[in-house]
Amino acid sequence: MKVLLIEDDKLLRDLLAKKLINNGYVVETAADGEDGMKAMRLNTPNLVLLDIIMPRKSGFEVMKEMRADEMLKDIPIIIVSNSGQPVELDKAKEMGVIDWIIKTEFNPQEVLQKVKKIEQELFKN
Amino acid sequence: MDSTPEKINTENKTQEACVPVCGEIIRAEKWKDEEFRKIRLAFFNILEDTEEARKGAVKEKNKTLAIINNLTDGILVLDETNKIEMASPLAEIFLRQGKEKLIGRNIFRITSADFDLTPLWNALKGDKKAKIKRLLRKEITFGNKLSLEISSVPLEEGVEGKETVVILHDVSRDKLVEAMKTEFVSIAAHQLRTPLSAIKWTIRMILDGDIGKITDEQKELLEKTYESNERMISLINDLLNVTRIEEGRFLYKLEPMQMEDVVETIAKNSADLLKMKKINFKFEKPKELFPKVSIDKEKVGLAIQNLLENAIKYTPENGTINISLDKDADNIIFKIKDSGVGIPQDQQSRIFTKFFRGSNVIRLETDGSGLGLYTTKNIVEAHRGKIWFESEEGSGTAFYFTVPILKKRLTNSN
Repeated sequence: MKVLLIEDDKLLRDLLAKKLINNGYVVETAADGEDGMKAMRLNTPNLVLLDIIMPRKSGFEVMKEMRADEMLKDIPIIIVSNSGQPVELDKAKEMGVIDWIIKTEFNPQEVLQKVKKIEQELFKN
Repeated sequence: MDSTPEKINTENKTQEACVPVCGEIIRAEKWKDEEFRKIRLAFFNILEDTEEARKGAVKEKNKTLAIINNLTDGILVLDETNKIEMASPLAEIFLRQGKEKLIGRNIFRITSADFDLTPLWNALKGDKKAKIKRLLRKEITFGNKLSLEISSVPLEEGVEGKETVVILHDVSRDKLVEAMKTEFVSIAAHQLRTPLSAIKWTIRMILDGDIGKITDEQKELLEKTYESNERMISLINDLLNVTRIEEGRFLYKLEPMQMEDVVETIAKNSADLLKMKKINFKFEKPKELFPKVSIDKEKVGLAIQNLLENAIKYTPENGTINISLDKDADNIIFKIKDSGVGIPQDQQSRIFTKFFRGSNVIRLETDGSGLGLYTTKNIVEAHRGKIWFESEEGSGTAFYFTVPILKKRLTNSN
């Protein structure tokens, strides 16, 4: 399964990428929303892990762009962010986001569990 | 007129022959004059009173107009056919329309120079006959420019369908401030949490063996570091919660809930902690199904969690903690009782103050932000509930809070 990880903090990006690669996932990374959009247009992922507050293009802008694109609109998205006010969560839910993970509340192992769960659902047929 | 008799005297040369007749005439004339004088006086008095009343009325009118014109709300007065009789200057500004295009026109046919007024009509429209409905505080937004809170009330109290006053209150600034605060909290949360999540993730991955093998000693040190970082995260979360409370928008979504379910979820989350401290914990569920409460379940959950965490923290190993629910006519009452260290008598009045921590618990457990109970109290009060406690140092504490029963249920059960 191909996972695209869009995260502007290099350390967090490297840690989570390592965790996923160690567990057999194909991981591509992008340092902001703009690069993330480019990456997913070149190589369609099965799942996007998306940060919200990022330079150049925010997570919300990425979601909006993905939902408006025929090729990308059905790709599942998990938000991995440190913001997470109820109003933001509701907005994301409306845009069809599967889950919202607050980074300080979860560790990479728990993020991995969520990815595994989605993988099972995606490939159960 | 008083000189008339003298005038007669000078005109009559045979004054004596004339006396009996003239006397009568003079008396009659005098009487008439007196009456005229009185009537004239009365008439002038009436005129004067009327003038004074008119001046008073004008003064009152000007006073009322000055008040209306200087109100920070816009005012429209409509007649029974919904035609605008009066529009205050602020109403003209809000509707972006001059008086000449408002006065005498039906409110459902006026236009604005700047935006579509449909939201205003929809808010005001009552039954099919397009009567204005009585409306208390409905918020509408025109484009992205203006947010108004609209109220409409009959001019004569209790007389519907006649003249109506429509009050337009500008809430655009409040909306803007609210949006700015949301953004601020969002950025603050992000800035404060990012370095902490980096530490958390790094240590966790080393502990999980993702980076390679570590010695037992390294593991032990890293576990302690991990715990310190967790405390810092929890402190930041407390601070963010306080910020949100003080913004007054802490309650987000009210939904009908069973208190029992909320308590159960929180108790489940703390099961490990309770087990670790070998605490004899019991949640005595109510024997019957209680009416639902209208709550923000995340926030009430946080209130219960704060109380339970405190109880666990300040109850020695092998102690007891009991949670129970009760109800009276209007409220569900939550109770948590522990066999912990208790709150010193002389400090009980300060227990809900921000950053306050009891002197005995500081000695016992140095960590704690002193924000838990402050947050809990604010959450309870935001739900129109009450919070109180009974405590004795050395033998334990019981905290209680109430949440009002959902009104609809209350009416049904009555």
